[in-house]
Amino acid sequence: MLALAAAQASAAPLTVRVVDSNGRPVNDAVVSLRSGPASRPVPTGNYSVSQKDMQFHPFVLVVPVGAKVSFPNLDPTRHHVYSFSPAKQFELKLFARDQSRSVTFDKPGVVALGCNIHDAMTAYLFVTDNQWTAKTGPNGIVRFADAPNSAGKVSVWHPYLRAKANVVERQLVASERNASFTVALRSPPMAMSDGY
Amino acid sequence: MATNTKRFRSLSARLTVQFALLFAVAMLGVSAALSTFIAGSASRQVESQLQSSGAVYDRLWQQRVRELQGAAQLLSRDYGFRAAVATGDTATMESALGNAAARLRVKTAFIISLDGSVHGLSDLRLAKGAETLWDPLDSGRLQGVAMIGGAPRQLVAAPVMAPNLLGWVVFAADLDEREMRSLERLSAIPLNAGVVVHDGASWKATAGAMQFDAAAGRALESHLKSRDAFEMRVDNEPSITLAKPLETLLPGNEVLLILAYPKAEALAGARKLQLALGLMTLVGLLLAAFATWRAAGRITEPLARLDHAAGRLASGEHVKVHVRGEDELARLATTFNEMSDRIEERERRITQLAFNDVLTGLPNRTMFQQQLEHVYRTASAGDSLVALHCLDLDQFKVINDTLGHPAGDALLIEAGRRIRDVARGHFVARLGGDEFVVLQTVGGDRNAIDRLAENLIEAISRPLNIDGNELMPSTSVGIAIAPADGPDGGTLLRNADLALYRAKEAGRGTFAFFEESLNRRAQDRRRLETDLRLALERGEFELFYQPLFDLESNRIGSFEALIRWNHPERGLVSPIEFIAVAEETGIIVPMGAWALQEACRQASQWPDDIRVAVNVSPVQFQRGGLNETIMQALALSRLQPNRLEIEITESVFLDGSDQILKLLHSLRSIGVRVALDDFGTGYSSLSYLQSFPFDKIKIDRSFIENILTRPGAAAIVAAITELANALGMETTAEGVEDNAQLAELRSRGCSSVQGFLFAKPMQVREVEKLFSEDRAARSVA
Repeated sequence: MLALAAAQASAAPLTVRVVDSNGRPVNDAVVSLRSGPASRPVPTGNYSVSQKDMQFHPFVLVVPVGAKVSFPNLDPTRHHVYSFSPAKQFELKLFARDQSRSVTFDKPGVVALGCNIHDAMTAYLFVTDNQWTAKTGPNGIVRFADAPNSAGKVSVWHPYLRAKANVVERQLVASERNASFTVALRSPPMAMSDGY
Repeated sequence: MATNTKRFRSLSARLTVQFALLFAVAMLGVSAALSTFIAGSASRQVESQLQSSGAVYDRLWQQRVRELQGAAQLLSRDYGFRAAVATGDTATMESALGNAAARLRVKTAFIISLDGSVHGLSDLRLAKGAETLWDPLDSGRLQGVAMIGGAPRQLVAAPVMAPNLLGWVVFAADLDEREMRSLERLSAIPLNAGVVVHDGASWKATAGAMQFDAAAGRALESHLKSRDAFEMRVDNEPSITLAKPLETLLPGNEVLLILAYPKAEALAGARKLQLALGLMTLVGLLLAAFATWRAAGRITEPLARLDHAAGRLASGEHVKVHVRGEDELARLATTFNEMSDRIEERERRITQLAFNDVLTGLPNRTMFQQQLEHVYRTASAGDSLVALHCLDLDQFKVINDTLGHPAGDALLIEAGRRIRDVARGHFVARLGGDEFVVLQTVGGDRNAIDRLAENLIEAISRPLNIDGNELMPSTSVGIAIAPADGPDGGTLLRNADLALYRAKEAGRGTFAFFEESLNRRAQDRRRLETDLRLALERGEFELFYQPLFDLESNRIGSFEALIRWNHPERGLVSPIEFIAVAEETGIIVPMGAWALQEACRQASQWPDDIRVAVNVSPVQFQRGGLNETIMQALALSRLQPNRLEIEITESVFLDGSDQILKLLHSLRSIGVRVALDDFGTGYSSLSYLQSFPFDKIKIDRSFIENILTRPGAAAIVAAITELANALGMETTAEGVEDNAQLAELRSRGCSSVQGFLFAKPMQVREVEKLFSEDRAARSVA
């Protein structure tokens, strides 16, 4: 989560809650707010997507543009991490254990990560140039503590969200400080299973 | 079955039809049940074959799906392919698709990206159709049938993940003619496979060149829900059909796989079985009918034979049926045979009684007449002759009377036997009494007739011993020859009889042939008989009187009354001609009575010392009533009985009856004199003279004729005269014609004479004239 401490003259906390069609909170949904001019986030700290137990960790990672993300292989097996996403196309062949390579993401967009060896492994990097961007936790809630106290547009992205580009968005009135999104989700693709 | 009873004239036919009908009902029932079973079984079999073909298709489908799916997945996971898709490298993408399609032998392969765009299809119509697949693909349905580009296609898709979903690789196999043919080839039965789709209005065949009409479409509609086979017309042939709905990807697309089995082919086996069953039923039916007919025949055949035999028995035949086995029918047949035998025996007995003489066993008159008729019916054609021999036994009556009927019967039996022996091969019959006939069939040799007659006479005349009496029978034979001697049997027999009389006249032990003259004589005689009967009524008889001259007193002592017949045409007829006939016919009885009365009446007018002598025939004695006749004549005429003398001949005594002696004694007791006429001829038994005290013996004229020429005759006359004198009887010599005879008789001591020397028989008025002259002479004297 990006915690941008940009003092604003008129700021008020904004809480966005994302639930699925069954009313359950949606984890790993990325919520963005566009309301007036926003400052470009600055990469801070280390960003990494590790491979452990045939899984990417985390599943969804929000990074600012220009962030350098490392891909440590913690598994005893090889991994072949790739992305064909327009935001960033790369492939990393991670042979050895604990081998870590880094990639810098310099364009905003969603980067879908896969492993060419293990199809079940999927992760997403949400590369953003908007400071008001965060992902939900298990409670399905994003809270912008100092969001501008004005009308704006809130968008919700999730890799399984059933919508074009996996995004739904809504205009918020100024007074609206609690937004709730109900989204339809695809079931997670079990791409490799025969039965699909 | 009451109607059947009326309808069938034959028991066998009725049994056959009844049992055959029974068999037919049973067999047709079984046959129908089997046929239904066969048809049902065949239908079930066909349905099961269809279902299994459907199942085969299902498996094929799944196999294909798996194959395509595997291929799609393989392709979709290819890193390079994914890279090409992800980076929009269309050339690489399309070449990879083409490569995979060729490898899988599918015509169409394309990609639908997540944004709905289609890649890899140059055909715009197809591409447009492909776009509609996004929704089902997006909803996770990756295989099924869809109408793409106007044709049903089997689609299999795999998502392209890189790693998130980029789109879908889709392989499309055409459900076309080729596909259907390969499916048909895989089937165990000759299927007709096709695909039909519902275009919203009606069902249309799209593959398999299957044609069906609206009615078939409706049938299809109504059977969609059930998974069972049903019947509809496919390609103008009634077919057993299974409709399998195929999983479709697009809403509104209803696609059916049709598996049709032409009914004619499907049920051909069953039809053959049914035909065979039908044939077997028919053959069975015929066999059953035949067997029943045979069995019925075995039962009814003896009945039919009995029926037939009974019919023949009824029409008079003697029949027997062959008896087989020991059942009721056999017993019936045995009884029938016994009955038939008894009937035949009775008929034989009746025939024998009717046609045979009981005594001799020979055919009787009835049978003879039939035989004679038969001869006349058949003899006219050929040139053979039939001789009828008529026999009777001479003196049979005498033998019968003297030795008794049993002896007579024995003689008849023996005569019959002898005749039969001699006339072997010819028809012999006894007509009654001692009358026998032989019907002799003669070929060319007419002498055979004479020989047979001679043999018959010879055979009969052989001596014979009956009860110790030696008999010397003899016979005469009269012969008439058919057809010359009579136009019919009756005439022939009569003429043979005439010949027999002639033979008898000619002397016993002879035979005579019929001649026409015999017939004329017979006719004369018949006329004589008729005239005789009328003569008495018409008063044509007249008594003549011949005087008997008393040698002692030298005067007429009596007159013998002699009957004369004044025939209106023939004039005076001699008694020699008619007395025999009168005796035979019995006319002698009234004639004799008339003569007695007439003689008595006339004699009563004569002087008291003149007697009248009247001849009495033995027939008059036999017929009875003579005593009364004489009494009546005497009473009516008031003639003194001692003036009446009756003359009888020895033959009166022949039947040996005491009655006659009694009668003679009683006549004599009242004074009537009895003279024995014609003494010396015939038996001339002296025992008669001893048994009855005759008043007079009249010596036969044959002795008088010869009295001067034959010494024997004179000696006999002398002996008779002496005997008569010794017995106290008078004698009269008859037929005295000259004085020498008179002198001789006188010298022999004869009491009286009669003959032409003195007077012929004269009419009564001449007798009376004689008396008046005599009275005149006496008065003169």
